[in-house]
Amino acid sequence: MTFFSTLRSGHPARRTLTSAALAALLGAAAACSSSSAPTPQTSANAQQTIVFATDGLGGEGQATTAAIAGFEKQYPNIKVQVFNLASSASDQLTQLQQRFQAGTGLDVVDADVTWTPQFAAAGYVQDLSGAGFDTSAYFPGQLASAQYTGKLYAVPWIINAEGVYYRTDLVKTAPATPDALVADAKAALASDKSLKEGFAWEGAKYEGSVCALVDFLGGFGGKLDLANLNTAANQQALQFMYETIHKDGITPQAATAWQESDVQSAWESGQTAFALNWPYEYASSEKIAALKSDTAWIPFPSATGSAATALGGHNLMVAAKSAHTAADLEFIKYLTSASVEVSRAESAGDPPSVKSAYTPALYAAAPYYQAEQAVFAASTARPSSPVYQQISEVLQTMISTVLAGQAAPSAALSSAQAQIQQIPGYSASS
Amino acid sequence: MAAIDQAPDVPGRSADSPRPRSRRGTLLTQDRRLGLLLIAPAIALLLAITAYPLGYNVWNAFHYVVPDIPFINGKAAGLANFRRMFAVGSTFEPALLHTVVFTLVSVTVEVGIALVLALALNKPFRGRSLVRAAVFIPWAVPTVVSAEAWKEMFDPRQGFVDYALHLLHLPGSGTTWLANTDTSWVALFVADAWKNTPFVAIILIGGLQVIPAEIYEAAKIDGASAWRQFRRLTLPLLKPALMVALIFRTLSAFLVFDVVYIMSNGGPGTSTETLAYLDFNAFHVDYDYGYGGAISLVLIVLCLLIAAVYTRVFRERG
Repeated sequence: MTFFSTLRSGHPARRTLTSAALAALLGAAAACSSSSAPTPQTSANAQQTIVFATDGLGGEGQATTAAIAGFEKQYPNIKVQVFNLASSASDQLTQLQQRFQAGTGLDVVDADVTWTPQFAAAGYVQDLSGAGFDTSAYFPGQLASAQYTGKLYAVPWIINAEGVYYRTDLVKTAPATPDALVADAKAALASDKSLKEGFAWEGAKYEGSVCALVDFLGGFGGKLDLANLNTAANQQALQFMYETIHKDGITPQAATAWQESDVQSAWESGQTAFALNWPYEYASSEKIAALKSDTAWIPFPSATGSAATALGGHNLMVAAKSAHTAADLEFIKYLTSASVEVSRAESAGDPPSVKSAYTPALYAAAPYYQAEQAVFAASTARPSSPVYQQISEVLQTMISTVLAGQAAPSAALSSAQAQIQQIPGYSASS
Repeated sequence: MAAIDQAPDVPGRSADSPRPRSRRGTLLTQDRRLGLLLIAPAIALLLAITAYPLGYNVWNAFHYVVPDIPFINGKAAGLANFRRMFAVGSTFEPALLHTVVFTLVSVTVEVGIALVLALALNKPFRGRSLVRAAVFIPWAVPTVVSAEAWKEMFDPRQGFVDYALHLLHLPGSGTTWLANTDTSWVALFVADAWKNTPFVAIILIGGLQVIPAEIYEAAKIDGASAWRQFRRLTLPLLKPALMVALIFRTLSAFLVFDVVYIMSNGGPGTSTETLAYLDFNAFHVDYDYGYGGAISLVLIVLCLLIAAVYTRVFRERG
């Protein structure tokens, strides 16, 4: 028996004590494994409280609160308690991993589309293949993100794709190529002195920069083929990102530390002509008088006709250790029902994951959902892998070193590819 | 510290002992036994919180310990975790260089400024206690707080640094300090020095206070200049305190993490990544306890080396 397995199979109390000592000294949370014994289940009719881990501030948070109230009215015996996740996706993942490794506490989990393979492979979430969800109801790209090794581990909840917002009062026609976008941004900066930047996008070293990279890659016909990263098209895309900041001057140097929220505030305060962001920004812009009639949203323009928009979005999962599986599934079915998704789409600007929600009624309430179709149609997934987190970390570093001028795109790409090969479990999983 | 503070053996002390030689041995054995018994709980506790995690960490370093990747978790890795540090594209070597440079620069600057501060604050003047207290405040502020404050102050739009440079017509206003691979280091050094210089100053003032005033009077009568007094009296007598300060600061600068994590997050790019930052990433971002363990081991070995060098240097000169 090895040192590590001794620890893992140790008495729970002793394990906790050991963990505390370890955490104190090494600053590392001890790796308690999930035991294989099934968790005793509470029946759906029993009085119970389920814990729903989700994020969402402002409109999204209010929509969640409203949906929970509706659910609790329909199922008076089930109470839903929200476990608030951090606002940044990286922090959310850390929070969830720590909870999952500790073993208990969560029932329904709102997870990013990229987390499914990792959570499924680690045994953190339940296989929902037999739970009666109609998989034909969802968009194929997002459905794929909910599956791992052919099984359904998550239920698509909100579809998301990242595109380019632009001000129609400053830019008359949508740019058709990346170069045209740069020219338009420069022209806008020259003509309107109230602008601070031409093109706002998120360049901080976090998951968002990988999404931005997916968008920019589409502009040049590049893609995230991890076995063949150092291509001419990929180099062009990275070079484009570097030049917007260091050569064209349409993106501020501060953008190398910007996240989505910084891009959002640049856009909403009217200081930029173009901004890379997700669909929620459409709903927000509708509420701002100065932007209401001047907002358009397109995929990042492509010189090669291969526009890509990073697929984002949220899937709902059931924690492997949940003692309330029946109630969890009822809650997920309620949240992903067309009517609840439509009301969330109208109030919070979250695009529904079920195709049947896109009806004339929705377009009447929020016409921009029709305009968003072009961006969703180009949605492109990030690499799917149980070690995606480690892969993303390498990609983020790659982007960051290029933006900082530390490495040329070609060198950064080949270094990233070499590092990805070094990730433990990468070759075994791909 | 113990080695430094140890008084030299006083000859003749053993001869003062009233006990006969033969009985003294057995009593000593008994004393020692009781002593060991009394410290046993403390030793056990120490082993539990140091030796055990250390052993666990060594085990980790030679295995794949990645709980989120079950199909590889727990398998023997040989030297793979160590090889990864030196593989193509690894940021370990640059981080090692950053760490060494950071340690050399910050320790030199901080000890230098602290020495001046300590000498100034050791002279009697009106309101000295107040000034001393004011100087020590930065040290009492948690690094997370001070680093956040400095990050704000280095903000190119609303930061104090930009404002001050602009006001004084100095170059550098409008610099995006933390977005540039060189200036981000300046910001880190300033924040680190602001926080840690007072700590060194406290130790040095303590050292200065135990130097008897009479020897300066004697030196004055002998006609020694102020510089000569500093070189020949103050500095040699301050050496024990200086050593303590150097060891403390060198080791903690070598393990620098918090100020980097808060202010630059290792960026821009990888330009301010230090070894401790890489280690944190391995443990808490990638949940890769094997690779994290390997980096920790390297850090431990390097820290032991630094400590060994200091002890040797002090012993030779002391």
